[in-house]
Amino acid sequence: MAVNGWILAATIELGGGGAAALWGVATGPPARRVIAQNMTTSAVCPALLLLAQGYGRPSYVDLALLLALLGPVGTLVFARLLGDDLAGQQPSAWALTWTAAGLGAAVVLALCVAGSPGRATVKLLVIGALLISGNLVASRALAGGFRGVRGG
Amino acid sequence: MSDALTVVVLLLVAGSATATVAQRDPARQALVLSFLGVLLAALFTVFQAPDVGLSQLAVGSVLTPLLIMLSVRKVRRRARSEEGTE
Repeated sequence: MAVNGWILAATIELGGGGAAALWGVATGPPARRVIAQNMTTSAVCPALLLLAQGYGRPSYVDLALLLALLGPVGTLVFARLLGDDLAGQQPSAWALTWTAAGLGAAVVLALCVAGSPGRATVKLLVIGALLISGNLVASRALAGGFRGVRGG
Repeated sequence: MSDALTVVVLLLVAGSATATVAQRDPARQALVLSFLGVLLAALFTVFQAPDVGLSQLAVGSVLTPLLIMLSVRKVRRRARSEEGTE
């Protein structure tokens, strides 16, 4: 296989984001752990997209689509059911949220530019929109932005 | 190149699995477990088994944490109500 920049990028993304998320999710107060758990989605989903491009198999994109859909749902589960541990805390890290959103957008745009325009491009854009909006919704729910989500 | 990716993902899976076992509180364990589920899906993708990865993603990232958190909440409520009646 020729030197594959996409797989190299996926390795860096997965290594850096995964290690940071693992450190955050395994140590510290509960507020930091849920933020790191939320970050997992935005770290792994772009890596899956890059892997699909690197292996040259467009069908692998489905994994990223499913993760972009289900990741925020998982975070919302924790936001709803961890009410006791999170009581009185407002876990929010907006700088991290926007960095993750920017990373996802950059990866999706790079893949759109690399591929030929068509249905695949539309699918990539849908995944990017789902990823970023899901991340924002989950972050807002964790920070207590939605009345009734927290506690329970 | 592919070898480096495999090593990175395997190390992450091993690290997060160890971290999951090392947690004491079940709620925190569920958090690390959902992280492990997502990583396992990435591992299956790297090993060219995306179909297994898809089901692992659905089960590991949402269903297992949901079940664990629901059970934890039920147990805590029961303990609290028993304290209240005594």
